Amino acid sequence: MSTSGLKAIAPVPKASDFLDIVLSKTQRKTPTVIHKNFKISRIRNFYMRKVKFTQDSFDEKLGAILEEFPIIDDLHPFLSSLLNVLYDKNHYKLALGQLRTARHLIDQVAKDYVRLLKFGDSLYRCKQLKRAALGRMATIMKRQNEALEFLEEVRKHMSRLPAIDPTARTLLICGYPNVGKSSFLNKVTRADVDVQPYAFTTKSLFVGHLDHRYMRWQVIDTPGILDHPLEEMNNIEMQSITALAHLKACVLYFMDLSEQCGYSVEAQCKLFNAIKPLFANKPTVLVLNKADVARLEDLEPERRAMVEEIINSEGVRHVQCSCYSDEGVMIVKTTACDALLEHRVDTKLKGNKVNAILNRLHVAQPKPRDEVVRTPCIPEAVKERKKYDKTDPERRKLERDVEAEEGGAGVYNINLRKNYLLADEEWKNDVIPEIMDGKNVADFIDPDILEKLDALEREEEKLEAEGFYESGSDMYDSDDERDAVAAKYALKKKIVSQGTKKAMKNRALLPRTAGLRTLSELTTDMTKAGLDPSRIQERAEILAKVAGAKRKRQREEDAEMDVDEDAEMGDEGEWMDVDGEETPKLKRAKDNSGAVITKNARHPRTNRQLAGMRDEAQASKAVKLRNLGQRERNMQARAGESDRAIKTKMPKHLFAGKRKMGKTDRR
Amino acid sequence: MATRIQFENSSDIGVFSKLTNSYCLCAIQGSTNFYSAFESELGDVIPIVHTSIGGTRIIGRLTAGNRHGLLVPSTTTDQELQHLRNSLPDAVAIQRVEERLSALGNVIACNDYVALVHPDIDRETEEIIADVLKVEVFRQTIADNVLVGSYAVISNQGGVVHPKTSIQDQDELSSLLQVPLVAGTVNRGSDVLGAGLVVNDWCAFTGLDTTATEISVIEAAFKLQGQSSAAVIGEMRDSLIDSWA
Repeated sequence: MSTSGLKAIAPVPKASDFLDIVLSKTQRKTPTVIHKNFKISRIRNFYMRKVKFTQDSFDEKLGAILEEFPIIDDLHPFLSSLLNVLYDKNHYKLALGQLRTARHLIDQVAKDYVRLLKFGDSLYRCKQLKRAALGRMATIMKRQNEALEFLEEVRKHMSRLPAIDPTARTLLICGYPNVGKSSFLNKVTRADVDVQPYAFTTKSLFVGHLDHRYMRWQVIDTPGILDHPLEEMNNIEMQSITALAHLKACVLYFMDLSEQCGYSVEAQCKLFNAIKPLFANKPTVLVLNKADVARLEDLEPERRAMVEEIINSEGVRHVQCSCYSDEGVMIVKTTACDALLEHRVDTKLKGNKVNAILNRLHVAQPKPRDEVVRTPCIPEAVKERKKYDKTDPERRKLERDVEAEEGGAGVYNINLRKNYLLADEEWKNDVIPEIMDGKNVADFIDPDILEKLDALEREEEKLEAEGFYESGSDMYDSDDERDAVAAKYALKKKIVSQGTKKAMKNRALLPRTAGLRTLSELTTDMTKAGLDPSRIQERAEILAKVAGAKRKRQREEDAEMDVDEDAEMGDEGEWMDVDGEETPKLKRAKDNSGAVITKNARHPRTNRQLAGMRDEAQASKAVKLRNLGQRERNMQARAGESDRAIKTKMPKHLFAGKRKMGKTDRR
Repeated sequence: MATRIQFENSSDIGVFSKLTNSYCLCAIQGSTNFYSAFESELGDVIPIVHTSIGGTRIIGRLTAGNRHGLLVPSTTTDQELQHLRNSLPDAVAIQRVEERLSALGNVIACNDYVALVHPDIDRETEEIIADVLKVEVFRQTIADNVLVGSYAVISNQGGVVHPKTSIQDQDELSSLLQVPLVAGTVNRGSDVLGAGLVVNDWCAFTGLDTTATEISVIEAAFKLQGQSSAAVIGEMRDSLIDSWA
C-alpha cells in the first residue's frame, strides 16, 4: 500500500478458500492416527486437539484481517472521509463487525464442543462430535462470504490509491471537467496523467511531485466538479470535495474562458462561489487556462465583470496560462507555491516551534577586530578549469577510469608514489629501507645531507690531490699480504681493548689523577678561607711517611715470594689454584677470570671439595662424576640417549588380528 | 559548488578526508571511487593524496591543516610522514604533534588565518599550531561542546557551526574568526558538521544524505555559488522555516 497513513494489507481469501486453508492446516498440523482400542482419554484428547486447533486457526486468520484493515475513525480526516466516499463507511464497518462476530461465534462453538468431547465415550462418538464442531465453524465462515469479498475489493482499491501525504505541502487543482487540470499536472510534474477531450477523464485523485525552492511539493489533480448541491454529487466529485475540505493546501481553481470545456464562464464563476467556503483559510489562485484561445481582456464586459469580482475578492490571486503554448505555466506554479509557502510560514511563525530554530535563521556577521585583510585563497587554475563532465570524450582520466581498465576494484592496486612531488622523477620508486643496521632510517633524515656529502667529497679530492694516500698505498705487494697485516692489527687492537674492558669490569676509564687533590692545594685553599691548616698538614705528612715505608717493605717481600710460588705451583697439580692455604699471596695475583685477588682475602682452611672423601681414589671418582654431570650441552643437537625414541612405529600385536566385541579397549 | 559523496556507504566523509586550499587528503579504500570524486573536482588544481595516519583511515579526524601546513598526531608513522612530505608541495609545512588529544581534526577548527581549539589543549601544541599553520589561536567551545573541530567547519569565506549555537555565541565566534557564520546541519540533520562536510574556498563536499535545504545553506554560508551568506535570511528564509519548524 502506497498511501501514507495506510499500511499494506494481506489479501483476503474468499470464504471457500478460507475454509480450505484452515481445514487443510488442521489436517497437516495435528496427529492423524487413532485406534478405537486406544485409551479413551487419549482418543478424547486427539479430537479435542483438532477442534481447538481449527478454532485457533480461524481466530488467527480473522484476527489478522481485523488488525490490518484501518479503523476509519482513527485516520487523518482526509483519508477517513476519502475512504468513506469510496467504500461507504457503514458498509465497511459492518463487514469488519461481521467478521468480528464470526470470530466470537467460532470461539463459542469450539468451547461447547470441547466440553461435549469430554463426555465422548467411544472413538466413533468423539469423531462425530469433532465433525459437528468443524461443520458448524465452516457454516459460520461460509456466511461471511460477502463481507470477505467486499473487504478484498476494498483492499485492492486501497492498494491503488495514490500516496497522498495529508500534511505535506500540497497544491490542489480543481475546477469544472475539461478545463485543463490534468494537462497542467502533466506540465509541472512527471505524473503522466491521462488527458482526453471529454469530461470526467480523471475519475480519482492523482498525485504528482515537483521541486521548488529546495523543497518537494505534492500536486493533487482532482476529478472535475459540476455545480449542483452536495447531496447530488457522485462519488467521483465527492473525492474532489473531500480533498478540498480536508487538505491544508493551496487551491488552484481552473477556469476555461474559451468555454471549450462546454461550460459557460457564468457557470464556472457560480461553481467557484458555491465551493468558496471550502477555500477558507487557504491560499487560492484563480488560473485562467487556455489563454492561447481566450484571454480575460477579450471577454465581454459582463462576463469579465463576473470574473473580476472573483479576482478582487480577498485572498485570491489570478494568473493566466496556457498548457498548450506553455505560456504562464511556470508563473502559475511559482505563484501557487509562494502563496502556500507564505501561508505556511505565517502560521508557523505564530506557533512557538519557530523559536527553536531562530538561531539557524541568523547570519553572524563579523565585527572587524583588527586591520588584517583576510582574503580567500582561490588558485587561478580553478577559474580556468573546465567543469568535469562524464559525457565529454576529452574529459580528464580519473583514477577510477584507470582502475576500471586495470581490472576493477580489488584487482587494481594503486601506486601511492605516483604523484610524488620530487626533484627527480626517477626517485619516485626508490626503495628506502625502514630499518637499517638496527637503526630507524627516518631518525637520520638530514635535509643537508647532500651538502655534507659534497663537502666530504671535496675534502677527499683535496687530500688525494695533495698525495695524502700515496705513501701507504705501495707498501704491500699483494692484497693478501695487506689483508694479513690488517687482520693482525685488528687482532692486536681487539686484545688490548678487551683486556682493558675486562680489567676495568666495564667501569669508566678515568686517569689516576682525576679528582685527586694535592696537600698543597688543600693548604692554600684553607689559608684562603681563613683556617689554620698546620695540624692537618702535620698529620698528612706523618701518614704519607708511614705509607711510603709500608710500600717499600711490601716490594721487598714480594720479590722473595715470587720464587717460592712458582716452585709450588708445579707440584700441586689439579687442585693447585684452590689449595693455597699455606701459600703467601702474590702481588697482583689473579684468578682464572683475570680479576685481581685481594691480598688479605680469608681463605678456607681445608679444601671442601675433598671433605667427606675417604681417599684420593674416591675423590678422583667424584671429580669424574661431577665432570660427567657438568658436561656441556649437546649444542649440535645430534640424537642422544635422552631423546624419546619410538623403536617400532606399528607394533604387530597392536595392529594384527580381527576385532571382536570387547577387545578394542585392550589395545 | 557542493558535491554529495560517500565513503564506502558512509556519509561521514569528513572522517575520511581532509580538504584545504592547497591540498586534499583522502583515506585509502578498496576502490578509488572516493578519491576520484575529489579528483573530478580538484584534479590539476591541488594535490590529492591517498594516505593513512597511524595505520587508520580516519585521517580527517586525526589531522588538522590549512593552506600553510598540516599537523599530524604522534601516532603517525615515519613512513606516513615521509609519504606526506613527498606528496605535498614544499610550501606546506608538516609537523607531528605530541598532544594528548590526538584527534587533532576534532579539537582544531581552522581556516588560513584563525584557528579555534579545544580549551584543554597543551600550551606547546597551541604554539605549534600558531607557528605551523600561521594562524591566530583561540581556545573556544561551540554550543558547549569542546570538540570545536567536530562541531564547526570554517573556510576563509564563511563557516557553519553546530545547529544549537545561540545567536550570541555565533556573533562572538564570527568576530573571532572574521568570517560570517551560520548554524546548520548536514546529512539529514546531523549536528557533527566536521564529519559530514569538507570545504575549502571554492568547493565543498558533503555526505550523500545531505538534503537540498542543507546543501543550499552550506553553499550560501561558504559563498560557493556566487551567493552571499545573507541568502539564509533573505531569499531562503521561508523555505528554511517551512522545512525546519
